[in-house]
Amino acid sequence: MAQLKDNAAVTEAAVDALIARFEEPAWLAEERRAALRTYAATPHPTNRDEVWRYTQLERFAIDGLELVDGPLDASVVDRVSMRLTDSDAEAAMVIKNGEVVQRAGSVGERGVVFTDLRTAVREHEALVREHLYTVVNATMSKAAALDAALWTNGTFLYVPRDVEVALPLGTFTTADRGGLSAGRTLIVVDVNAKVTFVDEYTSEPLGERLAHHAATEIVLKDGAKLRYVSLQNWSREVVQQNKIRARLARDARLESLTVSLGGDAARAEVEVDLEGPGSESEMLGLYFADEGQHYNQYTLQHHATDHALSDLLFKGALRDASTAVYSGVIVVDPGAQKTDAYQTNRNLLLDDESEAVSIPQLEIQANDVKCSHGSTTGPVPEDQRFYLMSRGLRPEVAEHVLVTGFLYEVMSRVTLPKVSEYVERVVQAKLGVPGVKEKL
Amino acid sequence: MADLLPQDAHPDAAKLEGMAHADQYSYYMPETYAFRSEKGLTKRVVEQISYQKNEPEWMLKFRLRALEIAEKKGRPKWGPDLSHLNFDEIYFYIRPQDKKGTNSWDDVPEEVRETYRKLGIPEAEQKMLAGVGAQYESEMVYHNLKEEWEKQGVIFLDSDTGLQQYPELFKEHFATVVPPEDNYFAAVNSAVWSGGSFVYVPAGVEIDVPLQAYFLINAQSMGQFERTLIIGEPGSRFHYIEGCTAPTYNSDSFHSGVIEIIVKERANVRYSTIQNWSHNVYNLVTQRAIVQRHGSMGWLDGNLGSKVTMKYPSTYLMGEGAHGEVLSIAFATDGQHQDAGAKVIHAAPNTTSSVVSKSISKGTGRSSYRGLVQIHEGATNARSNVECDALLLDDQAKTDTYPYIEINEKSAHVGHEATVSKLNDEQIFYLQSRGLPEDAAMALIVRGFLDPVAKELPLEYAVELNRLIELEMEGSVG
Repeated sequence: MAQLKDNAAVTEAAVDALIARFEEPAWLAEERRAALRTYAATPHPTNRDEVWRYTQLERFAIDGLELVDGPLDASVVDRVSMRLTDSDAEAAMVIKNGEVVQRAGSVGERGVVFTDLRTAVREHEALVREHLYTVVNATMSKAAALDAALWTNGTFLYVPRDVEVALPLGTFTTADRGGLSAGRTLIVVDVNAKVTFVDEYTSEPLGERLAHHAATEIVLKDGAKLRYVSLQNWSREVVQQNKIRARLARDARLESLTVSLGGDAARAEVEVDLEGPGSESEMLGLYFADEGQHYNQYTLQHHATDHALSDLLFKGALRDASTAVYSGVIVVDPGAQKTDAYQTNRNLLLDDESEAVSIPQLEIQANDVKCSHGSTTGPVPEDQRFYLMSRGLRPEVAEHVLVTGFLYEVMSRVTLPKVSEYVERVVQAKLGVPGVKEKL
Repeated sequence: MADLLPQDAHPDAAKLEGMAHADQYSYYMPETYAFRSEKGLTKRVVEQISYQKNEPEWMLKFRLRALEIAEKKGRPKWGPDLSHLNFDEIYFYIRPQDKKGTNSWDDVPEEVRETYRKLGIPEAEQKMLAGVGAQYESEMVYHNLKEEWEKQGVIFLDSDTGLQQYPELFKEHFATVVPPEDNYFAAVNSAVWSGGSFVYVPAGVEIDVPLQAYFLINAQSMGQFERTLIIGEPGSRFHYIEGCTAPTYNSDSFHSGVIEIIVKERANVRYSTIQNWSHNVYNLVTQRAIVQRHGSMGWLDGNLGSKVTMKYPSTYLMGEGAHGEVLSIAFATDGQHQDAGAKVIHAAPNTTSSVVSKSISKGTGRSSYRGLVQIHEGATNARSNVECDALLLDDQAKTDTYPYIEINEKSAHVGHEATVSKLNDEQIFYLQSRGLPEDAAMALIVRGFLDPVAKELPLEYAVELNRLIELEMEGSVG
């Protein structure tokens, strides 16, 4: 059984160095130090822990890695600049090894704050202090504690009351070398405001191993609406652990999409707390693992209030001895009557060496609810393949069409054409469709 | 109440109707024992059990090894709360009388028959039922098997007698399906097992009438650790039924059985059990079947009683074309936690399985479905489907679903679906508008919800199930 080890670089001195370098206020310094203490006191996960049972833990090991402090150079390489020009984002930011290396476009709407988290701590301290660590904090997991103590930079997005941001915004997180890194996103959408935000993780091949930790905190106030996309397409040396969590107040609506395509191994935790009646959360997920990739998807639909809705669809395909785990739970608290909660996971196995694990769970403590979950795993349907071949498609083309179609069900629910196109292109490259290049 | 009984109800049903719930379950008979072990689980107790049973050397060694395994393993860290289960307060072995099983009803001691009469179980049923093996505490005291089966070579004995009379057959199969290493409670059972059924059906023999055994607990704070071993030779076909009813006592009781079933080629075995232990019993059972080529195993698992049940009948489909089926019902009322489910392991090509689980939670009751479907690489074209439906009767009730699905084979088709709902107001309103009182309407809807499972039961069990549900539903309005 894999036993994870400590990283000698994760020390009080390292945290103090960050605090000094960023000239952080005392409250944040104390938060970081407390998080490090929590980190030290939290045991490493093992496969005996239920939520880590199927995770190939050794692939997420961080021992021996050095802390990444800043990029080797500030250039924005092809892959990222191509994504920049080809994205839906009206305004975007590129963060490389924890430093902002490029800003593009600007937000027209009044009062909207879209900047990096370190700048926000200086320029919008009260706003950041009010919300930072209120959704994802160090006590939630060893990885969350590491991120809370050591994040170097990330995104801060604030949309004031009643403001609707018309075009999407986005951040591209990238790296140019290996090591241990941590980033953080904080999104606050105020009363009746509305915005779309895309977090993309991507890099050129690094030549060495990078363990990236991410934490995404989302606060949606009464009537706020957010479309949030997390798109992970790191190069194959990267392992990522990302905890995305949102708190929804009355009548808030979150539409989230979590895409896992790159990296060597990735664990995405997507969690919502439905705290206000009338709140709604649509949770979409898409993953395609090839060449031995290992993906973990953990989801939580926590109905803490009555009259809330959550609807989850995670679809994945696997080939070339890859493994994927979907584990999700709907928790309905006592008194959360009139809850509607749905959860669906579908897996497509494209070869015998791959393995899919699906654990859709329900914990229901209120009776006037509509809850269901479903899970299916199977091969590409033989009759559909036969039909396409009878229309003249070669077997591999038929398979490309069917896999793309299978995953398209998720993308069809997202109205971001550039993101959809990009995902489709990566999927096709993974399938080996001739002439399509976007696979790293 | 009485007018709700079906017209073709069991003759004893009406008699039972007159008896209050408390009368049926809240008495106990004076205890007279030939031997009772000291409390607690120790090496000395295990040695005493083996000595009392005059067992062969290998069984004593097996028991002692199992005890070591249990001590090493420790209790499971998941699932329901077992913190109130104190082994030091439990007698792990009691023999009611220094007398072996008997074939005549008249030889059964009067107080045992009195217990049965009050429960309203076998006196009438024995006329209909072909063979009854009744377990009163830890030993079989009553046994009856039709003569023609014996001529066909069918063995239906208590396990202790089975070990004495068929030592080689017993040793060949014993603990091959559930080894003591499997889990903590299987290890405990392996150390202190006593009683249970030993069933052997030779090749090609088909038995139309179910084989039945009734289990009862009577001594306060006494564990019951039956060990059932069922062997279906190639091409055999039979149905084994076990029911449990225990009177209510003051301190917590503990039941931990192990059921091992071997389904050989083309054999077809069904195992049905409805447990209705009193609400202070910890019921922690390991049930497992191994199914060979084209064999078929069916489980019907009903969980109505007990304080805590942990029971996940599992089916290992080891041979090509093997089939497994589980029908599970759970009814959790105030203070109960029914943690039931099913496991199916597909280890061969063209294997198929189906799991249907229905659970009801009422009052502060909590019912959980915990399941596993595993498809091994090479188990080509395996198919499995799981359906879980949960009904919540009031706002304190709880339900959980924890299905684990592990798939390592591309050509496998696996599906899982679960729904949670409450009693439908419109349906209750409709029935009330047709003149049914509210509680009767609710009971009728609950029975309808369970119908897909109930209709798989032999008639007398279906009647009993309906009766039990009506008892559970009593006073659910207001």
